[in-house]
Amino acid sequence: MTDNGSSRGGKPDRDRDAESRELSCEEAAKRVFEFLDGELPPVDAEKVRHHVEVCRRCYPYFNFERFFLDYVRERGLKPRRSRDLEERLRRLLEEAEEP
Amino acid sequence: MDAKRAEFEAEALVHLDLLFALALRFTGGDEAASEDLVQDTMLKAYRAWDSFESGTNCRAWLTTILRNTFINNLRRRQKRPASVAYEEVAERSVFAELTESAAEGGFFNRIIDEEVIRAIEELPADFRVPLVMADLQDMGYQEISELLDIPVGTVKSRLFRARRRLQRRLYAYAVEMGYVE
Ligand SMILES: [Zn+2]
Repeated sequence: MTDNGSSRGGKPDRDRDAESRELSCEEAAKRVFEFLDGELPPVDAEKVRHHVEVCRRCYPYFNFERFFLDYVRERGLKPRRSRDLEERLRRLLEEAEEP
Repeated sequence: MDAKRAEFEAEALVHLDLLFALALRFTGGDEAASEDLVQDTMLKAYRAWDSFESGTNCRAWLTTILRNTFINNLRRRQKRPASVAYEEVAERSVFAELTESAAEGGFFNRIIDEEVIRAIEELPADFRVPLVMADLQDMGYQEISELLDIPVGTVKSRLFRARRRLQRRLYAYAVEMGYVE
């Protein structure tokens, strides 16, 4: 598990800068979905953001995964017509109507 | 027709096709089960219509009822613990295999809707359900964890695997179709 932010504010800035530089590509990549989902604690998200902004390997990779998530979101839920569901429902609603 | 029914048909029934699509994603493409799920959702919503505040987001309200109904049905059927042994799948992103010109993922755009939908629906339920919640319903890990009654860490890893599998499959399709070299 990563630092969940409990030590936030307790460290001098110098140390925090050193930590963000220490994040490896592998560590950044492991957190890609949590980062893109906005699920990382702010301190960790900042480390990942910092790494990705300056890393030539991770920058295109994170863009690719972001593109893919947006793609699934956009393409995954086109409304779909059921042949007789609407008729069936209208009938049921009519029956359920209060007298 | 009484006023309540007229109002319900105008405000709720218009979301029928969207609810049906969502139900199909949740059930893994089972049309009969999806029709039943939408029907249950709509009848529940109708009975509770007086409690719905007109002017608020009816679509969101209906999709919440549908999702909760689906989960409740799932729980009722799942008496035994679902400890499936997952086959080990490649969990590397397809990104590593892409040429520079394909690295932005634009080739995914050429895939037809039916194929995208089939790929989602054919994911194993344990992976599919968290993915539908996170990616099609914008739910957070914590909310999914509570609803499915599984730890947040499990949500995270299932979602991770679900996305990887989906990506792999769509990539394989794109290669097959010559959309990507
Ligand atoms: Zn990197």
